[in-house]
Amino acid sequence: MSNTYRNRQFTIQTLFVLSALLLIYKALEVQVLDDSFRAKADATTIGKYVEYPSRGLIYDRNGKLLVYNDLTYDLMATYNQINPDMDTSKFCALLDISEDYFEKALDKNWRSLRYSKSVPFIFLSKIPASSFNRFQESLYEFPGFTPIMRNSRGYPHENAAHVLGYIREVNQREVKNEDKDYALGDYIGASGLEKAYEDSLKGQKGLRLILKDNMGREVDEVDGENAIPPTSGKDLKATIDLDLQAYAESLMQNKIGSIVAIEPKTGEILTMLSTPSYNPNQLKISKERGKAYIELDTNPNKPFLDRSIMAQYPPGSLFKPFVALIAMQEGLLNPNRTIRCQGAYYLGGERLTGCHAHPTCFDVATGIQHSCNAYFVTIFRDIIDQTASPIEGLNKFNTYLDRFGMNKRLGLDFPNEKAGNYPSSEYYNDWFNRQQEGQKWKSLWIRSLAIGQGELLTTNLQLANMAAILANRGYYKTPHLVSGTIERDGTIQKFDKFQKTIDVGIDAIHFPPIIDGMERVVTAGTARGAYTPSISICGKTGTAENNQRDGKDHSIFFAFAPKDDPQIAIAVYIENGGWGGTYAAPIASLVIEKYINGNVQPGRKYLEDRMKKANLLIEKP
Amino acid sequence: MSRRNPSGLSGIDLIAFSFFLSLVGVGWLMVYTVSYQEGIDIGDFLSTLAGKQTIWIGISAFAFGFIVLIDSSFWQTLAFPIYIGSLLLLAGVLVLGVKISGATSWYRFGSFTFQPSEIAKFATCLALASYLSSYNTNLKELKSQAVAFVLFLVPIGLVLLQPDAGSALVFLSFLIALYREGMSVNFYIVSIYSTTLLIMGLVANPLYIGVGLLLLSVIIMSMNLDKRLYWLMGAMVTAVAVLYMIRETEDTYLLEILGAGAGVFLIYAIVLLNRRKGRVVQLLILAMVVGMSFAYASNYVFNNILKPHQQNRINAWLRPELCDRASLYNIIQSKMAIGSGGWDGKGFLKGTMTKLNYVPEQSTDFIFCTVGEEQGFVGSFAIIVLFLLFLIRLTIIAERQRSNFARIYAYGVAGIIFVHFLINIGMTMGLMPVIGIPLPFISKGGSSLLGFTIMIAVLLKLDSARNRA
Repeated sequence: MSNTYRNRQFTIQTLFVLSALLLIYKALEVQVLDDSFRAKADATTIGKYVEYPSRGLIYDRNGKLLVYNDLTYDLMATYNQINPDMDTSKFCALLDISEDYFEKALDKNWRSLRYSKSVPFIFLSKIPASSFNRFQESLYEFPGFTPIMRNSRGYPHENAAHVLGYIREVNQREVKNEDKDYALGDYIGASGLEKAYEDSLKGQKGLRLILKDNMGREVDEVDGENAIPPTSGKDLKATIDLDLQAYAESLMQNKIGSIVAIEPKTGEILTMLSTPSYNPNQLKISKERGKAYIELDTNPNKPFLDRSIMAQYPPGSLFKPFVALIAMQEGLLNPNRTIRCQGAYYLGGERLTGCHAHPTCFDVATGIQHSCNAYFVTIFRDIIDQTASPIEGLNKFNTYLDRFGMNKRLGLDFPNEKAGNYPSSEYYNDWFNRQQEGQKWKSLWIRSLAIGQGELLTTNLQLANMAAILANRGYYKTPHLVSGTIERDGTIQKFDKFQKTIDVGIDAIHFPPIIDGMERVVTAGTARGAYTPSISICGKTGTAENNQRDGKDHSIFFAFAPKDDPQIAIAVYIENGGWGGTYAAPIASLVIEKYINGNVQPGRKYLEDRMKKANLLIEKP
Repeated sequence: MSRRNPSGLSGIDLIAFSFFLSLVGVGWLMVYTVSYQEGIDIGDFLSTLAGKQTIWIGISAFAFGFIVLIDSSFWQTLAFPIYIGSLLLLAGVLVLGVKISGATSWYRFGSFTFQPSEIAKFATCLALASYLSSYNTNLKELKSQAVAFVLFLVPIGLVLLQPDAGSALVFLSFLIALYREGMSVNFYIVSIYSTTLLIMGLVANPLYIGVGLLLLSVIIMSMNLDKRLYWLMGAMVTAVAVLYMIRETEDTYLLEILGAGAGVFLIYAIVLLNRRKGRVVQLLILAMVVGMSFAYASNYVFNNILKPHQQNRINAWLRPELCDRASLYNIIQSKMAIGSGGWDGKGFLKGTMTKLNYVPEQSTDFIFCTVGEEQGFVGSFAIIVLFLLFLIRLTIIAERQRSNFARIYAYGVAGIIFVHFLINIGMTMGLMPVIGIPLPFISKGGSSLLGFTIMIAVLLKLDSARNRA
């Protein structure tokens, strides 16, 4: 009987083989051909969390902390993990939000591609660390909500708001930029050093891969090739001196203007301020920030305007030393030349440029000491008229100005630097041609340039840099606010671009008479209010005519000190401050004294008080 | 020819034996990786899954050795007492057993549990082999057929009372042995036809099934006509037309279409009857009536009698697109785990989904997920091929037996292992419905391992003694 059906074994074996083939095909499909199972498995088991790097800190030149990271939290919600029976009122109370907000924040348009019920979205942002800590204790009661730590900024002081700048949330354009890895909700430097050094400060985001079990609990870190630890941003060593900055700001309260102080040998900016200013903590990431921003933005005194680099003023008499230097370098001025002045620059008996009463200037130093207009108009015309064509003369003159850093951005490591201006010969060709067709202009017509008026415009930074040029007797280094990044071992990685010496093309031999004159400006000239017996300060006052507002002149002063081994070059510009000697010179000398001696002599306290108390703000109607 | 009665391992078929050992070894590794936790204290080992499995492997080895030592004629002689004993155990478990996940299928001794249905498979196999090999049995006769069916239908009934549908289904694997022993092919055709229609009836509108049957019949009839090519073409055109109408109508005219199909059928039937091929027409009409009633019946049962969770199980297998995630949870997780292994897997002990409780029953019924996740397609392929080679080897052993008892028993064992293998692995990949039966030798579980070991041991012992005079 058995052999009758022997062939049936083959049917049975075929059944076995076909079944095995079916299983193998199915395994091939599930494991190899269709990778959706694999992708789904990864999506189910591996949670991806962006890890935010800490933003780099900023220290001042003495290692004092200028900017630190203040933690805020964003609360992310994953809709399909939220327990519908959660205690909403407790939740809202802990976070200090209304139930209304809760409902609305969770009511997203789930049909839209922007949202998915399984992808976390920002439920509430900018929760300060103080209230978050309270909430965190109960976090376990609210599945579906995960916090993300964000680095907001905080300041242990109230100074240098313009220099430090602030951060803001990125905008759509920045998110779309493929070169950068910004995501919605990230912060980016909006102004000041935060903006200039964004790339160093921001660091590199990391990606944490977390293995979750079937209940969504975190089990383990996955350290595959895709998990990247975040890289912290680099800490910056700023060049400013916080104490000096704070002192200078206190002197400048209730005044409109700017102070820039530079260490001449290095180009490092010791102090850079613009008033009116604000407390940098006002623009911290918080719920109140928007209101604070609008208030500052609409303030008529324009606290957001950085007057040290964005405001352009005529340099006034501060320009005179440079006119003299150019004349001497061109061989057109013997430093002992006497130029008489009868209270004005006269030509052909006609009083052309007014001057004030002062003793006769027997040399260029005295000319600077008394800031004699006639003296400098005379030598300026010599420069312009050294050849037959004033065009050639002016071009030559401007070549020097160019080297002094005028009419161009100095290359400060900072956004929004303005270039200032000097008028070119083409400009005058056009301008006078428009007055009268074919008219040739003469040096006499542009003589106001000699005393720093007319079309000349400089920023206060440029003035401070020019003071540094005088202090260095003929060179400068590009002024900068950050000397380098602080590496992990504490060493400072300096930036090469700021190490280069830029020569201005005036021989050192020409500087002593000018500097002597500037010293006498302080000891016995227009800036006697800046005199302090302990330090030899060389300065120059300026009073720039002003046709704006109530028309009161701008008070200007620049200086360096000490005379023989200059440690600081400074420019002070006070809008509507009147004479250069009235406010700008005393304030500059106080800052110099504070920087060099560490404090101000008791005998000068009255001056300090007087400066602090002076109020030059526009009266609010 | 005189050969001494072999005892010990000599004479054991080494090919089958090594397949068997490989499967048990792979199984232990898979159970170990499921229970593997980093930094576990070695003192705790015996209380882990892998530790318990090790103990069971020891017990099974002991059983294997014991079976090899005792005389091979023992089994045929005692087949029926063993069978009766296993039925008593099955009946007893309903009273004395403990309930685990809804089924009273287990005896408990201390921390070990034992499932009598594992022994019942073996015992039924012995009993069936013993009965079919007796001289009085002839599978052409209704009486013999009836007895053979009763032999495995009784344990099916007892197992269904537990209730354990999965194990009950396994007893149907004896149909393979019956086929080899001469059970009519018609029986299998009718069975497959009915089963197919039952399954189709679960998920499809019976009217559609009716249209399908009519179309099939029309094509079969036209092939029995002269000039069959033309008729066949006509039938095809009709079929295409009807299919097109179904697609267009969205149920509205389904009865009309059915009527039209019946009309065409009638025309063909009349032409065919004139050609005196009445038997074809009769058979087709019978098949259609039976098929339609099956489809209607199962459809009715599915929609009106089955409870929602039972419907869900069937839907999860046949119509996953209708199911919510909860009903599909097991199968989705299982497929994800297997799929996540990719081509060559995550590596031994590196599977994450199977370790983090994503997969249900991961050490027992869904152990194949661990193979798939950690060893990838390469591993899945290897396991499937290993099983296939083992099964083929069992049929080869079966065919070389002189004794009918040994041959039938071998086919019985092969059938049992085959059904377990196909349903278990198929289930983890969504090919088969989720029926809780273990993967032989690999799944964790003492009674399963012991039961299968005994089956194989007896088979190898019978085989080693096959040349005895």
